[in-house]
Amino acid sequence: MKVAVVRFPGSNCDLDVLYVLRNVLKVDANLVWHRSFSHNDFDAVFLPGGFSYGDYLRAGAIASHSPSLPTVRKMAEEGKPILGICNGFQILIEAGLLPGALLRNSCLRFVCKWVSLVAENDRTAFTQLLQRGSILRMPVAHHEGRYVNDEEGLRELEENGRVVFRYVDESGKATEAANPNSSMNNIAGICNKEGNVLGLMPHPERASEPILDPCGKTDGLLLFRSMLEFLRSR
Amino acid sequence: MKQNPTLNVDLTEQETCGVRKTLGREPNKIEWGMLDIMFSEHCSYKSSRPLLKGLPSKSKRVVVGPGYDSGVVDVGDGYVVAFKVESHNHPSAIDPYNGAATGIGGIIRDILCTNCRPIALLDLLRFGDLKNKHCRWLFKHVVRGIAEYGNSTGIPTVAGEVSFDNSFETNCLVNVACVGVGKRGKLTLARMDKPGDYVVLVGGSTGRDGIRGVTFASKTISEESEFDRPAVQIGDPFAKKVVIEATLEAAETGFVRGIKDLGGGGLTCALSEMSNKGGTGVEVDLGKVHVREEGMTPLELMLSESQERMVFVVEPEGLKQVLNVFDRWELPHSVIGRVTETGKVVVRLSGKTVAELPSKILAEPPIIRRRALMPRKHMELWRVIKPKQPKNLTNIVYRLLSTPNIASKEYVFQQYDHEVGIRTVVKPGEADAAVLRLLETDRAIAVKADCNSRFCYLDPFNGHAGAVAEVARNVVSVGAEPIAVVDGCNFGNPEKPEVFWQFSEAIRGMVYMLRGLRLPCVGGNVSFYNEDEGSGRAVKPTSIVMMLGLIENLNWISTMAFKQPGNLIIVVGRTYPEMGGSVYYNEIHGIASGKPPRALVEKEKGSINTVKQSIREGCTRTVHDCSIGGLAVALALMAVKGGLGARVNIDKVPKAGVKRLDELLFSESNARFVLAASENNVDKIVRFAKRNGVPAAVVGEVENSNHLSIFNREAKVIDCLVDRMQKVWSHAIPKLMGEIC
Amino acid sequence: MRSFIVEAVIENKPLAKDPEGETVYRDLITKSGYEAVRGVRSGKYLRLTVEAKDADEARDLVSKMFNDLRIFNPVVHSCRITVRMNVE
Repeated sequence: MKVAVVRFPGSNCDLDVLYVLRNVLKVDANLVWHRSFSHNDFDAVFLPGGFSYGDYLRAGAIASHSPSLPTVRKMAEEGKPILGICNGFQILIEAGLLPGALLRNSCLRFVCKWVSLVAENDRTAFTQLLQRGSILRMPVAHHEGRYVNDEEGLRELEENGRVVFRYVDESGKATEAANPNSSMNNIAGICNKEGNVLGLMPHPERASEPILDPCGKTDGLLLFRSMLEFLRSR
Repeated sequence: MKQNPTLNVDLTEQETCGVRKTLGREPNKIEWGMLDIMFSEHCSYKSSRPLLKGLPSKSKRVVVGPGYDSGVVDVGDGYVVAFKVESHNHPSAIDPYNGAATGIGGIIRDILCTNCRPIALLDLLRFGDLKNKHCRWLFKHVVRGIAEYGNSTGIPTVAGEVSFDNSFETNCLVNVACVGVGKRGKLTLARMDKPGDYVVLVGGSTGRDGIRGVTFASKTISEESEFDRPAVQIGDPFAKKVVIEATLEAAETGFVRGIKDLGGGGLTCALSEMSNKGGTGVEVDLGKVHVREEGMTPLELMLSESQERMVFVVEPEGLKQVLNVFDRWELPHSVIGRVTETGKVVVRLSGKTVAELPSKILAEPPIIRRRALMPRKHMELWRVIKPKQPKNLTNIVYRLLSTPNIASKEYVFQQYDHEVGIRTVVKPGEADAAVLRLLETDRAIAVKADCNSRFCYLDPFNGHAGAVAEVARNVVSVGAEPIAVVDGCNFGNPEKPEVFWQFSEAIRGMVYMLRGLRLPCVGGNVSFYNEDEGSGRAVKPTSIVMMLGLIENLNWISTMAFKQPGNLIIVVGRTYPEMGGSVYYNEIHGIASGKPPRALVEKEKGSINTVKQSIREGCTRTVHDCSIGGLAVALALMAVKGGLGARVNIDKVPKAGVKRLDELLFSESNARFVLAASENNVDKIVRFAKRNGVPAAVVGEVENSNHLSIFNREAKVIDCLVDRMQKVWSHAIPKLMGEIC
Repeated sequence: MRSFIVEAVIENKPLAKDPEGETVYRDLITKSGYEAVRGVRSGKYLRLTVEAKDADEARDLVSKMFNDLRIFNPVVHSCRITVRMNVE
């Protein structure tokens, strides 16, 4: 089993994701330069967070034209697991692999803090080990994380269980205060129709080791382990 | 207007004569221009070098001491940590966003020179009163500039300090620090050691940034309108991120012998300093420099301060391999010259030599011995008419928590990505210092910086000795061993004897405490001329001390929040009635005078060793250094962070000479800590204290309640609600800034 | 009193670096083969609806306001203002 972490000019969290995959999950993970991501012998791919191309023009806009995207699309069609974290989520949206748009946080500031998420879909490639309705803690760190879509787009996501993670307070309520960027419907992460492509703004790689979590948990690791589970059962 | 308008340079009569004598001839226009920038205070440190030499700079762990772009210390397991502090005060005062951003850009480059990966940033800021619109504007945009640049490069800003005082109203201070990690065996230095090595200019293209049109009589520049050129450079964090990754990858080839960044003084400074350090010379062809603007003159090319540029010194056999790395990252580069053995910086253009100066003259301008004179009225600053003790002390605690100097800085650090890199174990706000784990080892480092500007103004010696002490206490509080410091000095005009007196007293104070605690200073920065042109008001003398601590056992990591009801609260160290410069005096009573707390080596050693031993023996994981706001505020914050209450008997606090209740509660005496520990560990802690010659006493107990209740014998003198304290403390700054809470 | 549309474009000064414009030009446009495009500068666009006696008054008001409220920083930005009648 081999997984890839694609690195774009300006990616920052590539080494973090790689560290978790190699040192915590202990899988064969490769850091691949975006221009070299052309051959298709990986079982899963991660698009990490960061500021690809400085977030110039729009976050993820320039990276979505990267020569790596055709391979990512092909892997998506083949049902392979694809995870876009933060900037990676922005790239998946700009590339049309996920619907909607991610705009500037309504407070107009970069926000870095731990948030609570409720897992609403336990059938995606990255959530099989999660319990529906369970609450996870993970940090967000972004300037452009406000998810928007038109009425029809939102309905399609909500009615088909494609909202995978939602910002909630500690008791599980999707309140305004729990929403760090004023995303519509408190949406923090969504998936494609088939459930193999997932994009989310929070950073699971930052919540995969007890020493980094103020509460000593490892909620983020569940996404990575779910992917392993998904691949094993294919 | 330059000091020497004929030659168009700021060199004094003495300096120009000295240059002519050493050179044995008259320098040409380009050479004068190069000398002008190298003789500036900013590049030469000519006023400060003689005093800075007195700072202790050696220890077993020091690998690179002062004089290079960053200090480097050994942290074991084959790893080294590089760190440095820089200032960008003047640019930030007129363009806070770009000034602060390019400040971050600059300090990152300093760390890259050692081939260490930058892993953390610190921001050390001073502004005027936030009730002033201009100060709010500076504060808002400085933070935004640091956030956007730091976040974009993927380096977490993990710690810092912001404080407010009128003296910084027009002259804000923006000091930034960076920490990097690398392997000892792969360390590079900013030196040109071997003649024949290639000199490669890498990164952003060179333009006329940083050159003032009026300064240089150049036909091309005088055609441009002064108004078309920004006064402050504009950084490109995306370009910087690429430079970081390309630099580290290029150094991996093993063929990079030296790296230096181009900052103030541009190419002139880089070439002079590198060749001087290596005892070699260098020859460059300006025609090879990759440029952004047409028709730049040789002087413009030598003095440009265009951002995001580095110089690499590359072994000839590896040149192709190294250039390949830059090509892969699509980083513009040009091979501009070679290292020679002439000891001179030789600049050529179109086949002609346009400048030729010995590296030594450029890099080591003669020092200037300035006069230091204590202001005649200085001791009058210590006179104070004691205020009446307020009746409602509970209210005073709420007011102190909501004063910007004490209030939560979450408004600032939530704009910084402090988690990227997955090293940040103790995050901003959780403790007295940030803790970063060193991946692939079992150890961690602690970083913090501090300086109480008000103490330093009232008593520069004690204030700065205290800065070293406080920051040592900060890292000890999180379980670390202090191992080295760097200092960022910010003062007014050194040509004024009173200001130079402040500077020399500051150094004297730091030397005293560093020697006493056996700590080296491995580098630093000096920023002079931080004063208001019109009024002549200088900033309060502020030499910010940044401490690096080492945690060799991750189990020692401690934070300040109360964690367990039933834990007993212990105060280590004695409280004295030292109210001068305190937040209580300034903010509550409007008193700016008084004698500030003394900083004494023996007391600091005693308290520090007590806490170190207590942590290592597993007696406590809850530690807070007691500083601004005194014991009352220290207890309040430990309660707020833990969401737990406490019951405290303030009369049990070890003290001497304290006759008033408010002085006991709000004095900012040094050498004190507050700990919380389970009952069965208390005896050990008290014994450690006794052995170390400092007092320690149990003063109270952590409770599962919403009250911080402080008693003086039988009388309850303070009863603060924990959730109310949390609210006033965290809402204060957002409210002042008019932001949504 | 009439209604005017005042459009302001705030850019980095002409001789200043514009990292955003440069990156869009270099990493997106030229890499996609659009050779006819020779350069890109980025900026911020604000469109204000202003009540004033005439176009000059509208322009002056906006200029003064931009300076007072520091909507642009003259140390680093240039600001181009155009005024037209509001026909809505």
